[in-house]
Amino acid sequence: MLNTLAQAFALITTWEVIVAMFAASVYGLVIGSLPGLSATMATALLVPVTFYLSPIAAIATIVAASTMAIFAGDIPGALLRIPGTPASAAYADEAYAMTRKGEAELALGAGVWFSAVGGIAGTLSLMILAPPLAEIALSFSTFEYFWLAFLGLMCATLVARSSPVKAIASMFIGLLVACIGIENPGGVPRFTFGITNLFGGIEPIPALVGVFAVAQVMRAMLTPEPPPIPKRKFGSIMAGQWRLTKKYNWQMTRGNIIGIIIGVLPGAGADMAAWVSYAMSKRFSKEPEKFGTGHVEGLVEAGASNNASIASGWVPSLLFGIPGDTIAAIAIGVLYMKGLNPGPTLFTEKASSMYAIYLMFIIANIIMIPLGIVMIRLASHVLRAPRSTVMPVIMLCCAVGSFAIGNNMFGVVTVATFGIIGYVMEENGYPVAAMVLGIVMGTMIEQSFVTSLIKSDGSVLPFFERPIAAILAAMAIGALIWPVLVWVWRKLRREAAPATASR
Amino acid sequence: MRLPDRVTGLFLVGLGAAAAYGGWQLPPVPGQPVGPNVFPLVIGTGLALCGLAIALGIGRSFEEEEHLIPVEGGQPTPPTSKLYGLRALLPPALLLLYVAIAERLGFILTAAMIVYVTSTALGARWKVALPLALLAPIGIHLIFSKLLRVPLPPGVLPMPW
Repeated sequence: MLNTLAQAFALITTWEVIVAMFAASVYGLVIGSLPGLSATMATALLVPVTFYLSPIAAIATIVAASTMAIFAGDIPGALLRIPGTPASAAYADEAYAMTRKGEAELALGAGVWFSAVGGIAGTLSLMILAPPLAEIALSFSTFEYFWLAFLGLMCATLVARSSPVKAIASMFIGLLVACIGIENPGGVPRFTFGITNLFGGIEPIPALVGVFAVAQVMRAMLTPEPPPIPKRKFGSIMAGQWRLTKKYNWQMTRGNIIGIIIGVLPGAGADMAAWVSYAMSKRFSKEPEKFGTGHVEGLVEAGASNNASIASGWVPSLLFGIPGDTIAAIAIGVLYMKGLNPGPTLFTEKASSMYAIYLMFIIANIIMIPLGIVMIRLASHVLRAPRSTVMPVIMLCCAVGSFAIGNNMFGVVTVATFGIIGYVMEENGYPVAAMVLGIVMGTMIEQSFVTSLIKSDGSVLPFFERPIAAILAAMAIGALIWPVLVWVWRKLRREAAPATASR
Repeated sequence: MRLPDRVTGLFLVGLGAAAAYGGWQLPPVPGQPVGPNVFPLVIGTGLALCGLAIALGIGRSFEEEEHLIPVEGGQPTPPTSKLYGLRALLPPALLLLYVAIAERLGFILTAAMIVYVTSTALGARWKVALPLALLAPIGIHLIFSKLLRVPLPPGVLPMPW
């Protein structure tokens, strides 16, 4: 254990890792604080760069950029009432109300401090949860993997903030995309339409860049430009945070726990964690009437929650290759590229790399405090960059980055196509996160499904015979039936309501 | 680009049916009960069923209203003509153009054009767009070609490094 820790330290104390981490932190802070550029987009655009780094440095950039971007989204939220990332949307109103009351320092300080605390809590959960789960996962057969993947996909549709039917449809679209290519049980070209470029299948990373970056530029074409951040002088940012920590200790802990749970659930990420925690804070607060008028309590809880979900989202990603959220989906792509294929054996064979990931998460959350303070102070200068200068550069990064992934122009075609797909889906209420999960997990779920079917000789029974498989199956089927039950119940209640009213 | 649920739902029914049919047509692996055809069949059927449910309006009651935060200070509302919505297609169109001409024209010229057009479309005046179109491609070229060794097409205007 100590030996592994020492090895992990040696892994991360190289110049490459330190420089990569610092640069990615600054990059994450800037992208995260620019309205309309999400943390997922920041991470997706980083991937081509990670190609040319060593495995640990590549993961360091992802860890640092995603951690910083989730916090940085709070900055324009508090100063402009425009969330920098979707994860800050839940409490942008509240933070802005605090700024209007003259408490901008307290709001932003709470953002940076409780984000850091949440991030470290999430990392601890990753350290504590992952190794014992890996022990259990070692005995998993394809049946368990199939149900686990199925459950993951169902979770993603359940937590979507849209119609579950549309979420399931999005997931199927993603799985269909994953069907393309010759990497299937028969090794025959499937849905390739004779296009040689499609034989290798759709690479998840260009698809993600398209869905999250190109679609965003497309939306920018139709939406008005957000106003620049007004110049202002800040007082002490960290003053009063310790008092808040003591006062709202329980809220902070609850936010951490909710964030961790939501992070572990596949497909549900920081934005979901923030919404749930903010709502929970209001529900259980002693003074709920103060919410919405610039009350720091909800900020504490939601801020602690969204950053906690970032690290815990890596638990299912590292163990099973099932992404905990869209950022983790990108991380999985990078892990595969770097030869750190997700799976329970990662924790025994590559233990030092795992410890290096934990350490990097902790370091990222600690350096977020000073870097975040600098960013807050510089925000009114940095964020003056108009959208018309940022978006063209992002377009170039999309083109070059997607080309760089395979040194193939087809990557650029993929990016453009998925930009359109993502844009149209989002406009019509189909959650793209569910599709992304389908694309990332498609091959895995098909493999476990078909292998299981071959092993069972076409019979369905063995899918339920092993104890863990049976439990997972029950949960997955429950998740599938749940929306139907709710729908039927609502329908019955609605039909009952007019009946009682007329009486 | 907001389409009625009926349209998107029926489109998904078609897509799902096509996928199921396409999967069904695939040759099975000799001597094995399940091959590459099973998975598309399952997914296609599922997708078609979902599409049907969406077209019939099942599950609409779950959709939450979008939490749009109005911007203070009264933004000028963009002109809403029918063609205005097509502006959204500009970014993917530019990317496809890049695929088509970058090999011949070279990275720098193609990139400069993409930057200029995107920037102007987002409301920048030429005083901003032109310098940006000159500098951004060179900067990106430095990072990707020099630092990361991505073979970007030189075309008619190769960079000296």
